[in-house]
Amino acid sequence: MKKLLEISLGVVTSVGGFLEVGSMATAAQAGALFGFQLIWAVVLGTICIIFLVEMAGRFAAVSHHTIADGIRERFGFNAFIWPLLATLLVNFLVLSAEIGGVAIAAELATGISFQWWALPAAFLAWLLLWKGTFGLIEKGVSTLGLVTLCFVVAAVMLRPEWKEVAVGTVPSLPHHDTAKYWFMAVSILGASISPYLFMFYSSGAIEDQWDKSYLGTNRAIAGLGMSFGGTISVGVLIVAALVLGAHGITEVDDYNQLPLMLIPIFGFWGFVLFVASLAIACFGAALELALQQAYLVAQGFGWTWGEDLKPRDDPGFSLVYTLTLFLAAVPIALGLDPLKLTIFSMALTAASLPLTVVPFLFLLNDDRYVGEHRNGLVSNAAVIFVIALGFVLAVVTIPLQIFGGT
Amino acid sequence: MQLLRDILDKQVVDREQVKIGKVDSIVAELRPGKPPRVIAIELGSIALARRLGPAPGRWTARLAARLSGKRQAHPHRIAWNKVRDIGVDIEFDIDVRRTRIFAWQEWLREHVVGRIPGA
Repeated sequence: MKKLLEISLGVVTSVGGFLEVGSMATAAQAGALFGFQLIWAVVLGTICIIFLVEMAGRFAAVSHHTIADGIRERFGFNAFIWPLLATLLVNFLVLSAEIGGVAIAAELATGISFQWWALPAAFLAWLLLWKGTFGLIEKGVSTLGLVTLCFVVAAVMLRPEWKEVAVGTVPSLPHHDTAKYWFMAVSILGASISPYLFMFYSSGAIEDQWDKSYLGTNRAIAGLGMSFGGTISVGVLIVAALVLGAHGITEVDDYNQLPLMLIPIFGFWGFVLFVASLAIACFGAALELALQQAYLVAQGFGWTWGEDLKPRDDPGFSLVYTLTLFLAAVPIALGLDPLKLTIFSMALTAASLPLTVVPFLFLLNDDRYVGEHRNGLVSNAAVIFVIALGFVLAVVTIPLQIFGGT
Repeated sequence: MQLLRDILDKQVVDREQVKIGKVDSIVAELRPGKPPRVIAIELGSIALARRLGPAPGRWTARLAARLSGKRQAHPHRIAWNKVRDIGVDIEFDIDVRRTRIFAWQEWLREHVVGRIPGA
């Protein structure tokens, strides 16, 4: 019974962590322009992240190391510094985009320009981290994230041709806007396979003091949680395809178009639901990203860390998330378009994948860390696939950004 | 036991299990006619910067000396004979509060973090 509760909490948490401004924006853009054709990218990204999250949790539960600890210890500081810098940069951009997402939700709700909301949003996030505990952040905020299920409800109520949805899960070549199609595919993959997700997950496993008895729980949470998250992304894509596409909106380049998605289905409440979903999903992701920056630095240099400690007991750790949050709010406060930043940072996330995923291949096959719980054939095949995918994405992202970016 | 594999870059904790840093470098003593002997580990930004190259090491040492006085111009050392346990973490029989290792964290606590309400 306790395990069941643990699993459901974990699933709720990962749903909350999965859906953020990146997956919402990329799914909405893809649906509007290409209909159901890019569903395969969401499915593929979700399968990849399931494997990576499961491995991150297993690694933490068996070896009592977070992924960041493991990379530094196994490969040495001179190798660790590259994933460290890349992840810090990518996380920073994504965090900025999430703050932008919260700010846009606030603009939609109040009519006051998003620029004014960036610093208050960052302040609220900071206050929760400063005063809250890991449990509060993990469980409280992500439970609110369940409001995003409204996209799944909306998708079902729109009665899509399920046969066409199924056809979309198989990759196919685009009939128009070829460069844009592949750029969208890359951005969707970047939004789904976020390094912060699995790195945060491994830190969370240590914060929650997981041991080997949690391996089953871990597998269930990774599989179910990420699948639910992926389902919501598919929901966003279907709604965007059927509503935005039908209204002749194929280019989602202005965030004011986005709330239109739920209005035909739920009327005025559709607007409210959209704003709430955007605000909560982005706020939750901003909390996780800011914490992950602090985890990464503290774990990388061996400082005392833990969200349950009081800030005065881990001053280095708390200062990192404080600085990160407020610095990340600055570009939005200066008026950088959150939607453009989101799409850009998702593509960059995809390009940074090899640096964080290659270590999995070594860490999860090292007897000294995971002993008998090392990767099987399927998991290793999955890692190699993600690495290969990551290398392809790293090479094609920049040209695609130029030719297919918005 | 292999030094680079099993000691370098591991988490260091003191006798109260407080995380105080990583093993940023290992100090060995060369003895004529005998195998070298490990005498200490080093931790801190200077030791870490030296691993990136002699120049970053010098810059960091100079910066540390300027910011916090000559006493901080060398990496922190912990004698190897203080080692108590090597497991997930390496435990040393020291009390971090009696060292200068956390001087910067204490400075932060007093001058920055502690001044923010609710800390």
